[in-house]
Amino acid sequence: MSKVYITGLGLITSIGNDVAAAGRSLRELRHGFELYPPFNKPDVPVKVVGTIKDFQVDSYDQEDWVFPKKYTIKREILRGLAPNSLFAYCAMLQAVEDARLAPADISNPQTGLYAASGGSPFFTHHYHERMLKVGVMRCSPLGIVASIAGTLNFNLVAHFRILGASCGFSSACASSLHALGFAWEEIKSGRQQRMFVIGAEDCNTDSILPFAGMRALSLQSDPDLASRPFDAARDGFVGTGGGAVVVLESEEEVARRGVRPYAEVAGWGQASDGYNVAISHPEGVGLHLAINLALKNSGCTPEEVDYVNAHATSTPIGDASEVKALKAVFQNPGTRPAISSTKALTGHGLSLAGAMETAFCAIALREGFMPGSAHISKLDPTCEGLNIIRATLPAQPHVVLNNSSGFGGANVCAVFRRVP
Amino acid sequence: MADVAHHSPGINGSKPPVPTPAKPFTPEDEAALIEALKRCSPATVEAAVKFRKTGDPACVPAVVIGVIERFAEPDQRAKLREADDDLRLIEDLGIDSLTMMEIVILVEDTLQMSINNDELRHLRTLGDIKIFIDCKVRGLAPPKPSRFLPIEHIGAVMPIQPPFLFLNEATVGSNGASAKYKITGDELFLKGHFKDNPVMPASIMLEAIGQLAVLFLLEGGHGEEGKQADPQTIYFTGCEGVRAHRVCKPGDTLSISIKPKRLKMPLATFEGQIRVGQEKAAFAEEITLTYGLRDVVVAPQAAAVSAVPAIPAAAAASIPATAARAIVPAPVA
Repeated sequence: MSKVYITGLGLITSIGNDVAAAGRSLRELRHGFELYPPFNKPDVPVKVVGTIKDFQVDSYDQEDWVFPKKYTIKREILRGLAPNSLFAYCAMLQAVEDARLAPADISNPQTGLYAASGGSPFFTHHYHERMLKVGVMRCSPLGIVASIAGTLNFNLVAHFRILGASCGFSSACASSLHALGFAWEEIKSGRQQRMFVIGAEDCNTDSILPFAGMRALSLQSDPDLASRPFDAARDGFVGTGGGAVVVLESEEEVARRGVRPYAEVAGWGQASDGYNVAISHPEGVGLHLAINLALKNSGCTPEEVDYVNAHATSTPIGDASEVKALKAVFQNPGTRPAISSTKALTGHGLSLAGAMETAFCAIALREGFMPGSAHISKLDPTCEGLNIIRATLPAQPHVVLNNSSGFGGANVCAVFRRVP
Repeated sequence: MADVAHHSPGINGSKPPVPTPAKPFTPEDEAALIEALKRCSPATVEAAVKFRKTGDPACVPAVVIGVIERFAEPDQRAKLREADDDLRLIEDLGIDSLTMMEIVILVEDTLQMSINNDELRHLRTLGDIKIFIDCKVRGLAPPKPSRFLPIEHIGAVMPIQPPFLFLNEATVGSNGASAKYKITGDELFLKGHFKDNPVMPASIMLEAIGQLAVLFLLEGGHGEEGKQADPQTIYFTGCEGVRAHRVCKPGDTLSISIKPKRLKMPLATFEGQIRVGQEKAAFAEEITLTYGLRDVVVAPQAAAVSAVPAIPAAAAASIPATAARAIVPAPVA
């Protein structure tokens, strides 16, 4: 059975609109947060968002959108996009270039695409209102395509002429790591030779503010403080969006094309809490099992793990569950991986998180560093015993874990290995 | 201010126009219209505003073309400006069915009319759209849709066959027909016409026009109840005002079109022309065929291919109507 490699990345994130910029931000612990103008109203308690720079996508009319000139997108394509799929489309163009893929490499029955996004509540709201106001026959024929949760796969599979496997994943914040895991299976089993794994979210009021109703968002108004996973005073996550594309290829394809991968995807595991629709299990049982299964699947021991990119979103409950799970896995004295949550820099990308953080792990493995866990003034005492690194470690990791957890208690863990 | 007749959206607009008082066109309406058309050319916006104020159907073509232009890819727009009515939305302008819906929605909004899906399906060319919208605006029933006929269908119904069939594909509507024929260079007669210089004979171009007229008679749905044109009775009888403007050679694609002038059995007279691209190649003021009727046959006659010796619908010399083979059944009153 073939090994699986990461051969290309594309990123539109709050900390950079390409791999180079995001990599720099990770190393230097530069965050992407701002006071978000639409939240500057007395009745909106949330103030800070991890914004996407250089994209103006607040109009319902896609032809009004402004985005970097290097991306030329035909109207026929734009009309079916929402902000999340626009970000993903641009990230896809980057990833294709990064992996040096020719059109024939992209469009063939052995190349597939798995994607994850929550859809566009922004557009859903708009089209429903329009339907009630002027009648359904006056709504854009592509309203549904641009709005519902499968929008990423609908658009990208069509526009990039994907002929292989295609599917969308919806497990909330675990979605794009689920997509990665199942894409890995496609290649491992020999059914596909190449898989694009994509996560994206809108990054606007409609996609972020509803979480305030659950009291899950930080009410901090200081962009330097708001997102602080593992800090004793953390008070909720900061929303973000964007698009991330990870290109996975088989050993055979890597050899045939003569490309140098970022990393190997050694394996993955998943398990569920079975506990509560929105609250993670207090002992982190699902995540604990997911990590163990991932290690077993990839033939790695806890001792071999150098770095963990935690899911930790900066919520009091979520971070605590993960700390429990990590302590349970890394009990033995010989196990002391560096741990950080890059959500301190980017914010929580929801469906985007898994793919985006996979890309961050790939960058770390290729460039030889481990990003610190930023914005911690006072580490939560329960983290005692875990090596949560506050500053970036300029050391080469060899085995890296990436965790993602979602609503309902879904937990996914992926294991990446350095390519010598 | 002219009244604009709004007919209730019946099937294919079959109900007669019911004049209703025009909805007043307020400054707010005008602002909304200009906003909706903000990506159209100024001329389009002007025509739209004028139409909403005056209801003058003459403004409509400019609005329709302007909206199509707005949705076409920038590199396709030039085609629209020099367009003739045969310009095909899908094949020539790259407009897919979703874009058609977007065009329709904006046209509906601008001209304040309702277009249902069935009506859309048959609109294939610029001409189709202009006629359709014009009928809608005037409260008339739109013409029966034109049909595209590929070579297989043409071969199945025509009494004329290769090597003497000069139609590759055709579109037949109620008001005329168009077709294409590509001169391959393998045509037998080109060997001798001329020596070392293959040129499509003008007589064959006239023949092509005549063949399209034959196809129109067979497929255009002409004839009384229960009867259709009989392929075995169609013959050339005469032509007037025939001119050739362009030397046509292998590689040229002839765009043939005919319009009926007088259809009264046993005679059918057409005007016809051939273009190559935008250039005029041949023109016939009148080409006349004789024809007879038979009972409607459900399937196209494949048998007609071998049974009847093909007689050319047109030749350099006309065949006298009294020629032995040209006896036409007496028309039934």
